[in-house]
Amino acid sequence: MEEPRIGVYICWCGTNIAKMVDVEAVSAEVGKLPHVVLAKNYKYMCSDPGQELIVKDIHGHQLNRVVVAACSPRIHELTFRKAVEKAGINPYLFEMANIREQDSWVHTDRTEATSKAIDLVVAAIRRVQFHEPLQKRSVNVDPATLIIGGGISGMVAALEIANAGKKVYLIEKTGRLGGHVIKFDLTFPHLSSARQMIRPILQRVENHPNIDVFLNTEIRDVTGYIGNFKTTIRINETESTELRFGNIIAAVGLKPFDPSKIEEYGYGKFPDVITSMEFEEMLGTGQVLTKYGKEPRNIAIIHCVGSRNKKYHEYCSRTCCMVALKFVHQIRASLPSANIFEIYADMRAYGKGHEEFYALTTHKQIIFLMYDQQERLPVISQADRNDNCNMVIRMNEKLSGESIEVPVDMVILMVNMEAHENVKEVVHAIGVSLCGNQFFIEKHPKLDPVATTTGGVYIVGTCQGPKDIPDSVSQARAAAARILATIATGSVAVEVTTASTNEKLCCGCQTCVKVCPYSAISYNEEKRSSEVNEVLCKGCGTCGSACPAGAITSKHFTDRQILAEIEGIMSMSFKGV
Amino acid sequence: MPSDTSNPKPKIKLAIYWGAACGGCCVSVLDTHEKLLDIVANADLVFWPIAMDIKYKDVEAMPDQSIDLTLFNGAVRNSENKHMAEVLRKKSKIMVAYGACAYMGGIPGLANLYSKDLIFKRAYEESESTMNPDKVRPVVQFEVKEGTLSIPEFFNDVYTLNQIVDIDYFIPGCPPQSERLIEVFTAIVTGIGLPPKGSVVGALEKTNCDGCLRKKTDNKLIKRFYRPWEIQDDKETCFLEQGVICMGPATRGGCGVRCVVGNSPCRGCYGPPPGSPDPGAKMMSAIGTMIDANKPEEIDEIIETIVDPAGLFYRFSLPGSILGRKLL
Repeated sequence: MEEPRIGVYICWCGTNIAKMVDVEAVSAEVGKLPHVVLAKNYKYMCSDPGQELIVKDIHGHQLNRVVVAACSPRIHELTFRKAVEKAGINPYLFEMANIREQDSWVHTDRTEATSKAIDLVVAAIRRVQFHEPLQKRSVNVDPATLIIGGGISGMVAALEIANAGKKVYLIEKTGRLGGHVIKFDLTFPHLSSARQMIRPILQRVENHPNIDVFLNTEIRDVTGYIGNFKTTIRINETESTELRFGNIIAAVGLKPFDPSKIEEYGYGKFPDVITSMEFEEMLGTGQVLTKYGKEPRNIAIIHCVGSRNKKYHEYCSRTCCMVALKFVHQIRASLPSANIFEIYADMRAYGKGHEEFYALTTHKQIIFLMYDQQERLPVISQADRNDNCNMVIRMNEKLSGESIEVPVDMVILMVNMEAHENVKEVVHAIGVSLCGNQFFIEKHPKLDPVATTTGGVYIVGTCQGPKDIPDSVSQARAAAARILATIATGSVAVEVTTASTNEKLCCGCQTCVKVCPYSAISYNEEKRSSEVNEVLCKGCGTCGSACPAGAITSKHFTDRQILAEIEGIMSMSFKGV
Repeated sequence: MPSDTSNPKPKIKLAIYWGAACGGCCVSVLDTHEKLLDIVANADLVFWPIAMDIKYKDVEAMPDQSIDLTLFNGAVRNSENKHMAEVLRKKSKIMVAYGACAYMGGIPGLANLYSKDLIFKRAYEESESTMNPDKVRPVVQFEVKEGTLSIPEFFNDVYTLNQIVDIDYFIPGCPPQSERLIEVFTAIVTGIGLPPKGSVVGALEKTNCDGCLRKKTDNKLIKRFYRPWEIQDDKETCFLEQGVICMGPATRGGCGVRCVVGNSPCRGCYGPPPGSPDPGAKMMSAIGTMIDANKPEEIDEIIETIVDPAGLFYRFSLPGSILGRKLL
């Protein structure tokens, strides 16, 4: 290894860092360390003159390693890597120390913050000495796209891509396209017909020359990596065509919660306690009738069934409040004199036009009754023979504080949206992660909501979390745009800081194979060694830390680099044992 | 190796010594059986307390660098071990840390989970077989009318040999396999194939799974851990896949996987593979990925089934690990 010649730059970040960290003291202190050729501080390292300073010093002082102590590497690591590269040094021979978010912003004692900054910079200086140059790589992108799920989000995404002239394979587990939306009667808040909206989309999808629709179809395994995936689809549970594609969209949706596990509501026991999905279907027939074919005089709509309750699902399903209000309009239209009770826990009307819709609904002569989700759920029981109703709901009305009985002939349960049981198969096949509620996890909750941590795999619609039609459609179009961008470019950059196996050390214990979240590791029986597919690898480091034989190296996160960093942290002000 | 005693080549001078050790390493030299004669044919044993009556003062009187090869087994636990390590280093051309204790601290090194005071308290006051109402404890020097009696000072920490003196080679094992000793001895006598100073010799680079004949898959998902006696071993499946912690994947090969062949999991006496900074941490990290649970409470429950993790993962290596000792 050539003698390290390190340049260290301490950023003031205006006053963001300089007011809490004595930047002069930091540069003076770290300037004394071995291999540090120069240590400077500057007002804004990320500015053009700041970056120029680095470039000039690399040339002027023959630096071969650079450390910048500034903000989070999430913000400017790329900026400085580019600056270093501009001066002819491999961008990975650079290390960043975060003395803003992890120091100046979170401390109030200037002396201690300064000494912490020194520790962090020393750690980076120790680490950068063991950095190795890494080379950028890219792969070509197959222009076809696989879309899993033929609901509204899957179909919209398919059309968006197909209209741009690119091939789409749309696979649907059931025998028909349209998902849940095709089962709806009206949509909120404009009370327009769901069918009239979705039918033309469906027809365009079915007739589009660039879309191949596969019904009753499932996938088991997807192999390959961004730009170059392949799978063998299973139609009617038999192996069928092999498909090749460059990107994947998962649009597998959610399913309605089964309320029979909530004893209080007696679903399954009382024939006229039905779910919101069952009521949608009833509305499709044009008549609201009890199981005995009578017009109900009293109808209750219970909100948050399976939602916002630790016993079932803690999250809010986001759409049910508005659907419940929509039902009021539909019931009122067919049964002008019925009593309608909205039994709610909280009214959530956050979307565009939703609050107005709520206000409009309150004029429909309905009774709002509030219950406390945490205290006690309403209880449905059979009415006495003398009562003038089918069932009775006993509840503590929260606003009045009184225990009341509500007479009902029909109860609609606004059921939660929850994950499919078999979602894990898809998850495993395409390499995405699930959150605690079994929703697919996006790459970044705010800035990258449709991508996943697996390159070339996108998630749209309700599989990412409960949402309404406009949100699902937005995601579908967003994912399509992302995919079309990679197809237009023709190639994508792949991760550089990957893991690799040393065949000389691998003992074949196969501990690494299962831990890889990207299915990038396989065991080669012949070589008796594990192998990392470096295109699939995202450099998460899980295998490197799991490998008991020390045979897997995570590039840019080697044991030597990490230990050097820890030794650096411990070397200066740490006065422990 | 030629056993022809008429070989004009001068014999090398060989010393074998023990520090904090059980004696097993010395026995492993005897376990070379008839090959011992080859050793003796090529070497003059100048110092070997287990077999020969030579006093420390005789060794101290030897000229510096006069011993060609010293095999030092045992850890450094007291001032006597340290003194002899220093004397032998000075007198020897090549000094080898022989066996797990000299190399990594070994079983005696587990005493670093306690302090000298706690150990003395247990040994001289609390143990079930101790009657010591006056709480008498050993002292380094004691005056009697005949003069001053002294015993070695017991250190607070157990050290590896390399933490006390500079070491040329390391031979792992508890004890090292005798075949490996012959190979290394031959290499040293002939000077052929000697690796760079500081190397681990008499062991492989790959870890033990490589030579293990049990069936291994990637299905290492563990719902609870078992100690070997708690489970009916099927004698063919990877121990880890049966929930028994086996140090095989994190332990250098070279022993012939003898423990596993004898249906006992690997305990890790051959130490970590090259480049592994800490054998215990590596294995714990690997074990972490095998726990088949997602809920924190469930994970805790499964981890609870690992009895004595420090003694399990650092059975032979605590003083030489990054951990070093328990902070008390």
